[in-house]
Amino acid sequence: MSEGTNHSDSSGRYEIRLRGRLHARWAPWFDGLTIINGSDGTTVLRGELADQAALHGVLRTLADLGLPLLSVAPVEPDRSAAPTSDPN
Amino acid sequence: MGPLLETKLHLPRRPATRVARRRLIDRVAADATSALTLISAPAGFGKTTVLTEWLDSLPANRSRRAWLSLYQRDNDPVVFWTYVLAALRTAVGDGFGTATESLLQSSQAPLDAVVATLVNDLVAVAPDVVLVLDDYHLVESPEIHESVGFLLDRLPAHVRLVIATRADPPLPLGRLRVDGRLIEIRAADLRFTDDETAAYLEGASGTTLSVGDVAALAERTEGWVAALQLAALSMRGRDDVSSFIAAFAGDDRYIIDYLAEEVLDGQTPADRSFLLQTSILERLTGSLCDAVTGQKASKATLARLERANLFLVPLDDRRHWYRYHHLFADVLKAHLLDQQPDLVPELHARASCWHESQGDVGESIQHALAAEDFSRAADLVEAALPHWRPRRQEATMRAWLQQLPGDVLRLRPVLIVGLVGALAAIGEFDENTDARLDEAERLVALADSGAAGPDEVVVVDQAELRLLPASIEMYRAARALMRGDLDGAEIHGQRVLVIAADDDHLQRGGAAALVGLASWARGNLDVAFDRYSECVAGLRRAGHIADILGCSITLADLRIAQGRLRDATRVYVDGLALGTSGGVAVRGTADMHVGLSEILHERGETDAEAEHLQQSRDLGEHNGLPQHPYRWRLAMARLRESEGDVAAAVSLLGDAERVYTTDFSPSVRPIPAVRAGMLARHGNVGDAMAWVDARGLSADDELDYLREFEHITLARVLLASFHADRRGSDLQAAIRLLDRLLAAAETGGRTGAVMQILVLLALAHDARGDRPTALDHLGRAVTLAEPEGHVRLFLDEGPRLRALLEPVARHGASAAYARRLLEGRPDAARHAGKRQPLVDPLSDRELDVLRLLASDLSGPEMARELTVSLNTLRTHTKSIYAKLGVGNRRAAVRRGDELRLLSHRTRR
Repeated sequence: MSEGTNHSDSSGRYEIRLRGRLHARWAPWFDGLTIINGSDGTTVLRGELADQAALHGVLRTLADLGLPLLSVAPVEPDRSAAPTSDPN
Repeated sequence: MGPLLETKLHLPRRPATRVARRRLIDRVAADATSALTLISAPAGFGKTTVLTEWLDSLPANRSRRAWLSLYQRDNDPVVFWTYVLAALRTAVGDGFGTATESLLQSSQAPLDAVVATLVNDLVAVAPDVVLVLDDYHLVESPEIHESVGFLLDRLPAHVRLVIATRADPPLPLGRLRVDGRLIEIRAADLRFTDDETAAYLEGASGTTLSVGDVAALAERTEGWVAALQLAALSMRGRDDVSSFIAAFAGDDRYIIDYLAEEVLDGQTPADRSFLLQTSILERLTGSLCDAVTGQKASKATLARLERANLFLVPLDDRRHWYRYHHLFADVLKAHLLDQQPDLVPELHARASCWHESQGDVGESIQHALAAEDFSRAADLVEAALPHWRPRRQEATMRAWLQQLPGDVLRLRPVLIVGLVGALAAIGEFDENTDARLDEAERLVALADSGAAGPDEVVVVDQAELRLLPASIEMYRAARALMRGDLDGAEIHGQRVLVIAADDDHLQRGGAAALVGLASWARGNLDVAFDRYSECVAGLRRAGHIADILGCSITLADLRIAQGRLRDATRVYVDGLALGTSGGVAVRGTADMHVGLSEILHERGETDAEAEHLQQSRDLGEHNGLPQHPYRWRLAMARLRESEGDVAAAVSLLGDAERVYTTDFSPSVRPIPAVRAGMLARHGNVGDAMAWVDARGLSADDELDYLREFEHITLARVLLASFHADRRGSDLQAAIRLLDRLLAAAETGGRTGAVMQILVLLALAHDARGDRPTALDHLGRAVTLAEPEGHVRLFLDEGPRLRALLEPVARHGASAAYARRLLEGRPDAARHAGKRQPLVDPLSDRELDVLRLLASDLSGPEMARELTVSLNTLRTHTKSIYAKLGVGNRRAAVRRGDELRLLSHRTRR
């Protein structure tokens, strides 16, 4: 883990991948994350989260909706600077 | 927390359309000995349905079923266990769990005690009990998880706990699994098999599907029943079922989204709007939905939607309350936020008003917060505070108060002080507290001036405002005491007594206690005792029994420090009577036994001492106050020392130190000092000296009551050091220190310390070779010890003191008591003390006389038998009559027989 990012109590960028395409109307459920639908039938939630507690909140919401989780990864700030949103 | 919501205790009905899930029921039913049945799977997997089907299959005469649906706001341990108790009452009867209930309502009872009492209540229930906690994933409070774990560890064999949850709970599942006490049903088990899917779709959609269609649906839904249910709804009334299935199977959208959209598209615009707008509600009823949607016939709409299978779950048998299936509610909310985002706060505001009109404070506040109408939420919280405070629901109060934004909170003195109290309950009591109290005080003055506008200070409840000045001073006194600022504690505490209303027993009592503690820390024991007695009187008027027991320990400690063992005994005996008066031992009863054992220790009555420690242990640590774990170990260590097992004693002191905790009581007998004293007594001078160095103690320190015990111990260590190394300077330092300590203790009326110091002075002067001064000091100690029966402080000192006691026993005012000390009176007392239910037990000698009284010997014959004069015999006889409360020989023998004193055998 790089210095200063993704500490448990500091903010960080995350990329969360799930199976199935998710409509953009769910965005308020995942505050601060952008919903990006891939062509392979998966969806990526990407963006800044305040801390680990916020990350757990997102994962819990996904579980509540029964959305199958594929991966969670911290990402470097610059890599996802300009995400291309493709809401349905 | 307001009235209990009965709908949460309602055992859900089995849905009309369903597939029998025999394979799962059999697994749940298979092993009735498992403590926990865990149904863990995401939303919409049919957890509740399987449970209700299983519960329905249980024989009603042999098993009781308790159901509790949890909500987010149940994250307050007191609320949680209150609901668990209510659920169990619906199952086994209203009379269940009165002891648990009283504990839940008493302040400061730890959760473990509540749960332990609940277990006792459950043991008394004859039929099997199944307790279901549904939606357990909503529980986030670590305290609740811990107490549920505590329950699981102690669950009686005829009780089963069932937890339905979307995520595995933080309970020791691994251990339960290994022990074979866990049955698990997980998502993979709950998924519908292909056969079940076919059977379900046939029943629910009303159409017969081809094998290929069923297979396509089974694959796309993966046996997820919520998806199957939506699919069945979407197919109802369609002609083109196969093309619907083909389109659905070929789509990769989020399955619930896809299907819910299909279902919503099939509704009338009015129904669709109703579904979206009511999706913000945790539970639904006709008039509430009318208020939120502005429609008129919501009751009929709800009934119609339920018949149409639109994911409405009835919460009672009368079809009065419903909720949406969680997953469906989430989809509806997503559509609502997407289509009418601006309407959402308005909907919440309407719901808040409706709940307020119904007196549902919690839901009303929750919706006001969701509506982001914070000033309304603050009004509601302020109005609710006086009702919550006495019910110990600090966690709930904390949650509401912390959701209010700072700019709303900072105008409201009542809420600021409320937050101080709610945070103090979890130990957050620091500089922020001081700042909050200052701010609240400023606002109170502003409000009182009458000149402030609503942008400066807001008070909803004027009665609460009037209580604030006393509360603020009370918290300040407590803060001062914590900082060691005794002047501050006394000043603020006295101010509470001046400004609090006469009938405000709790505040007045609390303030008196704080002033008393400050006096104690200064060594003013009489004042401390008086103030503390006022506190107890206040608590008694307010009916707080468990708190009275806590104060009893302090009162007795003060009496013991004054050397008044009889008074201390009375405090504990009264406390014991109070603690057990309700039939069930109140928390703190265990502490009374420990206290009595300490006094018996001082009196050298070892058997009785051990017996009280055992009784305390039998009651269990959960029956003890917070200080109980360390006090019990400390008392046990001293017992072990007197039995000669020094290694065990020292090790117990180490344990005591690890579990040491205190309330606001000053630490007047620090465990490391007790340990150093014990080491010095048994010749381990090196380790005792290490303690002296670590504490930085010196014989020339300024004296301070809080360090009195440490300084006395220092003198003891110096004395031991002199005997080891023969350095005269140690001895001189010890005597110098002891002389100063003696003067201070005498001035403060601390007779307990005075006796201790005199004994050490006697030993020190003896070591110097000044026997007359030594005997003089020892004589005074013996004289002081006699009236209250102190023994231990002489016995613990070993052969050097024994040698000194012999001349004291030969003549002078204290000769008789010194003789008894030498004769091993303590051992005699221990036989006498063990089973004599007398306030003042017969001595061994008196027991001998009593036995002779039961014979047919004459007076002179008895005197000869005992080798005493006839006069001495008469003295004994008179004393026996007085102690037994009788007037003649025959009555004494009869009473002695009743008390079974005659069967004892003489030791010697």
